[in-house]
Amino acid sequence: MKKKNEEKKENKDQGLIKKNEELEHQVKRTLADYQNLEKRVAEDKIEWVKLANRQLLLRILPALDSLILAEKHTKDEGVILSIKTFLDAFGQEGIKKIETVGKDFDPNTMECVHVAEVDPSAGSGQGQGEGKVVEEIKAGYTLYDRILRPAQVIVGKQQ
Amino acid sequence: MGKIIGIDLGTTNSCVAVMEGGSPKVIHSAEGRNTIPSVVDPISHVVGDVAKRQMVLKPKTTIFSIKRLMGKKFKDESVQFDAKWLPYTIKSGRDGMADVEVEGRMFTPQEVSAIILQKIKADTEAYLGGKVTQAVITVPAYFDDSQRQATKQAGEIAGLEVLRIINEPTAAALAYGLDKKNAHTIAVYDLGGGTFDISILELGDGVYEVKSTNGDTHLGGDDFDKVIIDYIADQFQKENGVDLRKDSQALQRLRESAEKAKIELSSSQEAQINQPFITQGKDGPLHLTMSLSRAKLEQIVEPLVEKTLKPVEVALKDAKVSKSNIDEVILVGGMTRMPKVIGSVTKFFGKEPNKSVNPDEVVAVGAAIQGGVLGGEVKDVLLLDVTPLTLGIETLGSVSTPLITKNTTIPTSKSQVFSTAADNQTQVEINVLQGERPMAADNKSLGRFILDGIPSAPRGVPQVEVSFDIDASGILNVKAADKATGKEQSIKITGSTGLTKEEVEKMTKEAEMHASEDAKKKEKVESKNAADSLIFTAEKTLKDAGDKVNDNVKKEIEEKITALKGVLDSGSKEDLETKTKELSESLQKVGQAMYASKDSAQGKQPGATQDQESTTNGQKEEKIEEKEEDGKTSADEPVEGEVVN
Repeated sequence: MKKKNEEKKENKDQGLIKKNEELEHQVKRTLADYQNLEKRVAEDKIEWVKLANRQLLLRILPALDSLILAEKHTKDEGVILSIKTFLDAFGQEGIKKIETVGKDFDPNTMECVHVAEVDPSAGSGQGQGEGKVVEEIKAGYTLYDRILRPAQVIVGKQQ
Repeated sequence: MGKIIGIDLGTTNSCVAVMEGGSPKVIHSAEGRNTIPSVVDPISHVVGDVAKRQMVLKPKTTIFSIKRLMGKKFKDESVQFDAKWLPYTIKSGRDGMADVEVEGRMFTPQEVSAIILQKIKADTEAYLGGKVTQAVITVPAYFDDSQRQATKQAGEIAGLEVLRIINEPTAAALAYGLDKKNAHTIAVYDLGGGTFDISILELGDGVYEVKSTNGDTHLGGDDFDKVIIDYIADQFQKENGVDLRKDSQALQRLRESAEKAKIELSSSQEAQINQPFITQGKDGPLHLTMSLSRAKLEQIVEPLVEKTLKPVEVALKDAKVSKSNIDEVILVGGMTRMPKVIGSVTKFFGKEPNKSVNPDEVVAVGAAIQGGVLGGEVKDVLLLDVTPLTLGIETLGSVSTPLITKNTTIPTSKSQVFSTAADNQTQVEINVLQGERPMAADNKSLGRFILDGIPSAPRGVPQVEVSFDIDASGILNVKAADKATGKEQSIKITGSTGLTKEEVEKMTKEAEMHASEDAKKKEKVESKNAADSLIFTAEKTLKDAGDKVNDNVKKEIEEKITALKGVLDSGSKEDLETKTKELSESLQKVGQAMYASKDSAQGKQPGATQDQESTTNGQKEEKIEEKEEDGKTSADEPVEGEVVN
């Protein structure tokens, strides 16, 4: 009888010990989750600031695109200066224009919107040959070496 | 064991999510987007956005819409149809299956899809910082065994053990937790980039069974874009006699404008389309400037939206259920953000569809939840409750001041220091409120108690700390303690979260309904409190300044005090504000006078003695006033002149 009671008590103790372990485990896990979350929030904040800038820049870029188009059509001195002001400011904020014309097409930084047929026998013309960018439709930019917006280009292709 | 990820392997876009801390989280691609275009160049192993950018240059090696070929025979009618418009080469491979040929090499749709899955796997591993080996992948409800098998193989080729293939509509239902809500019959309306699917599901034994499915495999966002482009181009042609669709560069810009306008019009009533120098006319450059209203857009896309309703009817008929038997409707796919689509679906079913989960992500989220269930993580996580409504106390002017805002995860606690609203007030009443309305009377009072024995002091001096504490089971403990004497009182409220769903909804709805009138009411009380506070300050200042203020100024201020007192109870908000401002301006003269006299009579003792006009000690002003919550440091020193919130 006594032994049975003791056994019962031991079982109960074991149960409690196990339960205690489980709870401790859970608390630790929760705390860890929380601390990890805090770290991620801090990281996200930094990322967010960058992203917020991205969104703003992406909204501003079409205005610059229009200026560049205006310049192409009018060759106006004032417009050229305006564009320069833009690009200077961009440069100071870590924004760089992606070089395109004459370069090999790179889908990582450029988007091909058209192909232009090039004649392989024509020799050393401008942009010559297969897979090279022959014209830039819309300028692309990088922000701290990450793509802000890919450039839209016309790529040469042999007939 | 690593995490099990959930993948929505779509026709146009794919998305991935994972359970994190008990809730699903969508993982952004390395390019920072929540979805990845399902586009692949199997030769150069370029995937997603990058592959999409070379589509025009390499139409034969850039594979998209590969899902349309998954597990299909080459001679299948649908493959024959798609082969006509897809720019890459489709051929009959082993066992007559449809394969693609790129630069002389044959690829099965499984291999092509696997490249997408590999990128998803890599992006996810970068995010999680560990290996990912297991996944749940979704497929359309109508996928047959061969198509499901092919999807599974794609996963395996990508190095993922596919624990389960689940139906896309089922995943969407899981994302909304409809299985737990016991929604018996549900309709999932999925309008994506290139396909439309409608599925009717029925819940049985805790699992959703697909009763019927229908749709249009060639109807989606791209068709919507096309009609918008056509409309704009037609308008432009009417005005300028130039067809922009013939100028490929102009068309490119038109396409971008149309898509932008479409997205903008989901949230605003009008969109501006501005594309200067869009093309060259006879007399110089032409500009595209147009405004497109939401009403016009809806008129343009109406036939497309209507087109989706026929399959819905057929699906209902096949499932042998009527519209009224549908318990819940779910919207999936980016196009379902369009108000016109939401409106048509609402009208058709006669009920508001579920649309709170991002429609681009909802399927992946559901897959991640399924993954969480399989991995035991969903069960493992302690489910924490939230407070359904805001909890606060009543302060001066019957304003409800929140302490714990709604949707705060519990257990939690919060405390704030308040003060008295009248001189020599010896007790405060704490009225615990629940609800979203700014005025106390409109919220539910959960209980009240009185803290007395506060030592007599001018208003704003005593510091009463009120703390709210909710434990995990929703029991709310409210305690008020006088910092000077340490005296405290508390109350325990058990029913703080025990509201029925209907009650919570009703209170939330009421708060939304009355939002503007409530705001006005509260503003009025605030101006009244500000006026009241300024009267008190003015009177005190005059008294403290004594004879340092000349009689004219004194008289002016006294007059203005009387004027302000006159409108305190009856005046409009504007009245109160102007008179408060006037008094405040006059009052500044006192300050100037005091400094001037100090300069001229150095060393003279300031006459400011704190002999307050003693009011009756038994005054029972039952309101308390909120003190600016300004961290513990400033709260420890008495603040002169109370702050009204």
